[in-house]
Amino acid sequence: MSRAFDLVLYGLLIACALAVIRTKDLLAASIIFSTYSLILCLVWQLRGSPDVALTEAAVGAGVTTVLFLVAVARTSRRER
Amino acid sequence: MRALWTNIDYVASVILFLIGLYAIMVKGNLIKKLMGLNIMETAVFAFVMSAGIVTDGDAPIMGAGAKPPFANPLPQGLILTGIVVALSTSALALSLIIRIYRQYGTIESDDLWGVE
Amino acid sequence: MRRALTLALLILASVPLLYAVSLLPPVGSEDNPTYTYVVPHYLEEGPEETGCENIVTAVILNYRGFDTGGEVTVIFTALMAVFGVLLIPRPAEKVRQPESAVPVSPVTLFIVRTLAPFIVVFSVYQIINGHSTPGGGFQGGTIIGALLIAASLVMGSERTQRLLPEGVRRWLQPAAVLMFAVVGVTGMLLFGEYLSYPIEGEYLFLRVPFLTLVEIGIGVGGAAIVASIFWAMEGSDG
Repeated sequence: MSRAFDLVLYGLLIACALAVIRTKDLLAASIIFSTYSLILCLVWQLRGSPDVALTEAAVGAGVTTVLFLVAVARTSRRER
Repeated sequence: MRALWTNIDYVASVILFLIGLYAIMVKGNLIKKLMGLNIMETAVFAFVMSAGIVTDGDAPIMGAGAKPPFANPLPQGLILTGIVVALSTSALALSLIIRIYRQYGTIESDDLWGVE
Repeated sequence: MRRALTLALLILASVPLLYAVSLLPPVGSEDNPTYTYVVPHYLEEGPEETGCENIVTAVILNYRGFDTGGEVTVIFTALMAVFGVLLIPRPAEKVRQPESAVPVSPVTLFIVRTLAPFIVVFSVYQIINGHSTPGGGFQGGTIIGALLIAASLVMGSERTQRLLPEGVRRWLQPAAVLMFAVVGVTGMLLFGEYLSYPIEGEYLFLRVPFLTLVEIGIGVGGAAIVASIFWAMEGSDG
């Protein structure tokens, strides 16, 4: 059962990673990257590592995403 | 093939690593390249964490009622440090990107060839 | 063309990687080499030797304290590099920037205001109690930093920066590095080695206070650094 759930989570991770590099809108890509971090955080919580899951949620999904958003706001939003 | 199936956690991180590498090699936009780099970093973190998985392992916190098996605390400590260092490199790279945009008005690496 | 070549290269690169992966010991087995060498010692003796119920905290602050000391130096250096790259103008000559053109939704404002005290309590709990529950200095610090960022987004950076004036911020940013130096040198004076914690003897009571001090240092420093990186990037006119 949990094996199947792992497979679903890994599938979602890979789908998010592909979506991040396929999306032309950098704002949307940043938000998808935050989703990617949250799924990764869930994976680690299920592995018995709450410390790393907390860090990933705070740093990966929170601060890194905000920094990406600021950078997108200060530069250009569309990717050619 | 059977060995790959039992090591599906490692396989997932290899795939994520290759996706990040693809983004770095093909994408022209600097922010997109940085996202690819971040995906590669998390893939490496996932790989090291997979080496520390123990089946049905509990969080390594020795409070009352804790019972073995415990998850491996060593990769967790290493990855905690790694995540913070990844944040530092991302912050520095993003500020460099902002500076490049301020100076040259573009963040497409193709347009940056030959600018003065 | 470039895409096709890269794809071919990556597929080529995936073959040795997948082969190597298939040779690794199966995931999750307890006789995995990473689980048999030093980890049993950490798991069995950790709580006795370090006073941490949370073995991850024991590993990052006690057994591998040098790593963490290096890590806080890295993030402090990154902050300095960000300042250097963005060439922050001095407050006096800073041009007044128009505040955000898009008005902030009252819903967002209300939610940030209502949740702020709870977030602060949660992160302070994490920082102070990091040795026995999940979380620790860096997690709590980042959450406070993220709260400061959220406050800047709804109230404007100017008003939020008044919570943490320039003069105070400058001393809080290296807090983690300084705290590591203080605890390390104290450990050296008392026990003979840099960053060593008491294992037994009359100073045993100092163990948990030392850990808590380091956690508070990392938390305060992390919060100040995360918020300052955001303000530096946000305040630079793009």
